[in-house]
Amino acid sequence: MGFKIGIDVGGTFTDFLLTHEDETAQIYKVLSTPEDPSIGLMKGLEEMSRDRNLPLPKFIKEVETIVHGTTVTTNAVLTYRGAKTGLLTTKGIRDALEMRRGVREEQYNNRYTNVEPLVPRFLRYPVEERCDYRGEILTSIKKQDVHDAVDRFNAEEVDAVAICFMNSFANKEHEEVAAAIVREKMPNAYLTVSSTLLPSIRFYDRISTTVLNSYVGPILMNYLTNLIRRLKEIGFRGVLLIMQSNGGVVSPEIAIDHAAVTLLSGPAGGPIAGIAYTAIQGYKDCITVDMGGTSFDAALIKNQTPLVTTEGEINRLRLALPMLNIVTIGAGGGSIGWIDEGGLLRMGPHSAGAKPGPVCYDLGGELPTCTDADLLLGYLDKDYFAGGKIPLNEEKAIQSIQTHIAEKLKLDVIEAAAGMYHVINVNMAAGVREVSVKKGQDPRDFPLVVAGGAGPNHACMIALELEIPVMIIPRESSIFCAAGMLMSDLQHNFVRTYPIFLEDLNLKKFQSLFEEMEQEGRLLLKSEHIPKDQIKMIYSIDMRYIKQYHEVNVIITREDIFKGKRTSIANKFHPEHNRLYGYSLEEVGTPIEVINLRLKCIGVTDKPKFLKMKYRGPDPSKAFKKKRRVYLPDKKTFQAVPVYDGDQLRYGHEIEGPAIIEQVNTTTFVSPEFSVICDAYGSYTMVLKSRENEFKSRVVQ
Amino acid sequence: MKVKKRKKSSNIDQILVSVLQRRFKSITEEMGLTLLRTTRSPILNEARDFVTGLYDAKGRMLEQTEYIPVLAFALQPVCQYIVEYFGDEIYPGDVILHNDVFTKGNQLADIAVFRPIFYQGELTAWAACKGHQADVGGAVPGGYNPQAREVWQEGLRIPPVKIYEKGILRKDLWNLIFANIRYNIVEEDIRAEMGGCVVGERGILSLLERHGKEVFHSHIEYLFQSTEKMMRREIEAIPDGIYHGQSYVYYDGFREGSRFKINLTIEVKGSDISFDYTGTDPQTEGFVNAPYGASVSAIILTFLMLVNPEIPHNEGIIRPIHIHIPEGTFLNVRFPGASTFGNSITGPHADAILKALSKALPQRVTAGWNRMLAFAISGKDTRKNTPYVDILFNALKGGSGAIHGVDGYDHIGLINCAGGILAQDPEMFELTTPHLLMKHEYVTDSAGAGQWRGGLGVETIFKIYGEEVTGVTFGDGVDEEARAFGLFGGKKGSLNKLELIYPDGQIYTPKSKEVIRGIPKGTIFHEIAGGGGGYGDPLKRLIERILKDVRNGFVSIEKAKEDYGVVIDPKTLEVDMEKTRRLRGIG
Repeated sequence: MGFKIGIDVGGTFTDFLLTHEDETAQIYKVLSTPEDPSIGLMKGLEEMSRDRNLPLPKFIKEVETIVHGTTVTTNAVLTYRGAKTGLLTTKGIRDALEMRRGVREEQYNNRYTNVEPLVPRFLRYPVEERCDYRGEILTSIKKQDVHDAVDRFNAEEVDAVAICFMNSFANKEHEEVAAAIVREKMPNAYLTVSSTLLPSIRFYDRISTTVLNSYVGPILMNYLTNLIRRLKEIGFRGVLLIMQSNGGVVSPEIAIDHAAVTLLSGPAGGPIAGIAYTAIQGYKDCITVDMGGTSFDAALIKNQTPLVTTEGEINRLRLALPMLNIVTIGAGGGSIGWIDEGGLLRMGPHSAGAKPGPVCYDLGGELPTCTDADLLLGYLDKDYFAGGKIPLNEEKAIQSIQTHIAEKLKLDVIEAAAGMYHVINVNMAAGVREVSVKKGQDPRDFPLVVAGGAGPNHACMIALELEIPVMIIPRESSIFCAAGMLMSDLQHNFVRTYPIFLEDLNLKKFQSLFEEMEQEGRLLLKSEHIPKDQIKMIYSIDMRYIKQYHEVNVIITREDIFKGKRTSIANKFHPEHNRLYGYSLEEVGTPIEVINLRLKCIGVTDKPKFLKMKYRGPDPSKAFKKKRRVYLPDKKTFQAVPVYDGDQLRYGHEIEGPAIIEQVNTTTFVSPEFSVICDAYGSYTMVLKSRENEFKSRVVQ
Repeated sequence: MKVKKRKKSSNIDQILVSVLQRRFKSITEEMGLTLLRTTRSPILNEARDFVTGLYDAKGRMLEQTEYIPVLAFALQPVCQYIVEYFGDEIYPGDVILHNDVFTKGNQLADIAVFRPIFYQGELTAWAACKGHQADVGGAVPGGYNPQAREVWQEGLRIPPVKIYEKGILRKDLWNLIFANIRYNIVEEDIRAEMGGCVVGERGILSLLERHGKEVFHSHIEYLFQSTEKMMRREIEAIPDGIYHGQSYVYYDGFREGSRFKINLTIEVKGSDISFDYTGTDPQTEGFVNAPYGASVSAIILTFLMLVNPEIPHNEGIIRPIHIHIPEGTFLNVRFPGASTFGNSITGPHADAILKALSKALPQRVTAGWNRMLAFAISGKDTRKNTPYVDILFNALKGGSGAIHGVDGYDHIGLINCAGGILAQDPEMFELTTPHLLMKHEYVTDSAGAGQWRGGLGVETIFKIYGEEVTGVTFGDGVDEEARAFGLFGGKKGSLNKLELIYPDGQIYTPKSKEVIRGIPKGTIFHEIAGGGGGYGDPLKRLIERILKDVRNGFVSIEKAKEDYGVVIDPKTLEVDMEKTRRLRGIG
């Protein structure tokens, strides 16, 4: 068995988790190289080989899997640096892409502008053709329109083409006719056909997703082709997999054709890692939070399945492919504190980012950030930040908080820093409420998995705010997403729209649509070398009561489909509707309308095996480093508390709050209300002292 | 560590004030989500025409969540009225219903639920929800009745009524109310509003338990003051003075060519601002009137667009704003006048405010927004043999007015909703209603020209293949004078237009307030929602912006020359700089 490597390219750092079944997993971090992210990636691989005293080619031969999360597509959309794209669409509705159904997200802000469309109108070509919602052709396609458009695209030097016709979810014939002409006359263009990528109803959702795919397709293609070549050059013979927004992975060849599946993959590893870390202690549900430099991501997992949405957005543009439902808010170590016009303290959403960074980094930042407040309160050690690699300038941090916060609020500088700490914690707690309370779930029922460089410093306060009694902080919390990537399976999603009352379902059609999707799934997984017995299929239907506007996705069984069990399907819909919306109309006998059929195809991959530690008993004194004064928010005063070396903590070790646990890339603040026990895989489990007995037995069996 | 210690000036914890404000906001959002999850009428769960709010014991607003601005501040006046009305007779477990436009309500169809929150035996706060109901009795389903002349023809009046007292449902009263409302769905949606209030109560009680009553009260007072301070600072930035604005509403549904003047005098003095409507026309004989509550909402939502959008929404906002609308004018209808069109007067009303303040805040006001012209359609969907109803939001959303530095927003729709209500998705539109969409696109040259142009209007064409179809128009913007106005040399936006092309080729143009019955199958619906007004001299607009609009077909080559003085070659789409310079009078 060889190495498995998870690689997560972030805005500031590229994180690596290197695993091997005979070794403890190791963390690497290198600075990201945004102009060509593969440079940073190769640098990390070089560091690994150096640490093992091996030449790179020798080390790389031992690597059997690399799972790679990339933000090249995300950045292309955010910075408008995607491919020049042309759109073919049905005559009469070519502006649907730009209109976004006429939404203005900020209703009181008259300076708020619409998003610049990825395809300007002069490259949106109307084609005369029309199907109705059942797929019946009302007007045959006028091929000349397509030819004219393609000629213009060629003249304009368009690199990518998107085709999306009205009601093509019901009949793909016209889109295929148009696609054939494009392929013939623009052989080098990247092409996305909406009925292939996303054959489901809702025109704006489909056209926006199709255009996004074409817009980023050439970018991802160039990046991955280049990366594969580089890896090959150094002798890599293992498997390369790419992280998707749905929490699964995919081979690079398939990712190139479905480039949009990577658009929001950045934080998608997090929930997957959360499942693995909590499963060790026997949990099936959890909430994961990841606090980095600029943003805070929260996700909820129920029954080992993260919530999924098909109503995602990137840069306010709809992306209707299934993706993990992750709420992101502007709260991170770099979040800037400021006083609003009414004299109230606010934190973020503006961030000092990596450049100029927090004031204490001494890289030119002048505005006080969350990290500066953490330093003043003693949660960070000015001499042991990044393991001592980055010395922190405390004087400057004090000065900045004094000038920008304390003086304006007539507080002393520590009160001001404590206020900044408090306000950002409340903001993050609101982010957790967003994924829990707003989805009808009580956060108190979930263990909170806390990750990200800045997360563990704030964990106790977020938990107290939400009355959550137990938290799990993985030892690898600073590279949480990279860890999650290694734990992800291959995943492909399929959809077909079949709008009909459940009672009127034509079983033959119903079954053949699912069969079609199964076949496509098997074919893809076969190309990814997944054996048949490692394939899992999850079937579901989007349904609603008649007259409703939103559907509920309900998981059904293969038997429900192929034995035509309508009642069984209905019986699964009513309670799910009740759970989500507080009522069901079962007794009233309201008809159920089927809208979309969905299939999730999973190819189970080999997961890295983490080394289990030996039980060492509760005494943590070997890990004790020293005592340090930190601010205790409940007492509003400083107190000297013990500092432990996180890397020296072993299975069974127990620590009473208040305390600090230090690692190279993370510091954990244990507030007086909590105690910590280290589990068999090194995660620090923080438990509310008053409820210790309920949770301790899960950690030490 | 070198740290200066400072004495605290008061016992206010300013950090806690920030925290409370955030918590109030998230409680009202949770209440809103409860409504989204549990209501059944699409106007609530799809169009999101509701508001949730929290109030202190005196009925002063702590925070609210509204998805469309038209309901901003629709609850506080009612809450204060209820506090006064019941006085000492408010008990734990009471639930109060209200919709009456003559006791501070804004529209009969908007039924509100209020729940008093008691802590340690004392009335401490209120939770309230108000949503647009599918029906409220009266002569016409849904409440829009252009023929109404009195409130009773519009719907059932509910002055403050305890539907629960001390936790016990007054069943007879409940049945009396719902015996006068057409659809059962309304009962369910009112229960959903009561559920929303329970969520609000829970949130407030947990805050009280954590912080105690005294801290709660002193800190919300500080919150009001801090918000008031923000608002006053915004008003202080407006030069002192008296500003006049006028605007007209066209057609009362009875007399062709009728029009009604809004006469507004704004006085800014230090950090106070007053809105005086003396001289506004008397109320109309039909439903083209606004109750006081609807007019106040219109003033506040328009004014909030002119100040920092970050200001929290609570009682502090209202303190520096003084309003006088004489009773008996059509902006403050006298009993028992009809007033269902009241919310729709927000557009013309906003025009008067924007015009008045254009002299004082030239860089903050927008030019005129397209006035709403709505069409509610109902009939039989023969595909499923079921009745269907739809308000054509897709067709009515025109452009907003431009502002200094920024073009207007395309296809945003009426100012009361400001982009909060979405157009139907084209495919869902065809699946759920018997309509075949033929066109839904931006309209060339619809935007008022200007240094910053107005938002684009939209053209909608579809074929109706339902049966027994009835349409109701309600709106404005079809008269030449009602076009979205331009500012500082900017030009007007285009006109609204609505016509029905019957299968025999005959074209029927409905009036702006009319019921059209017996629309035959195969009729083509055709509406053009106009563009917004332009801002500033069109000759000053950057040439590359004009070229971009021409390339995209938003502005024609002819108008580029005529309005903007930019000459573009139709073949190469290049600017003829020499001719342009001459036309623009430069160099």
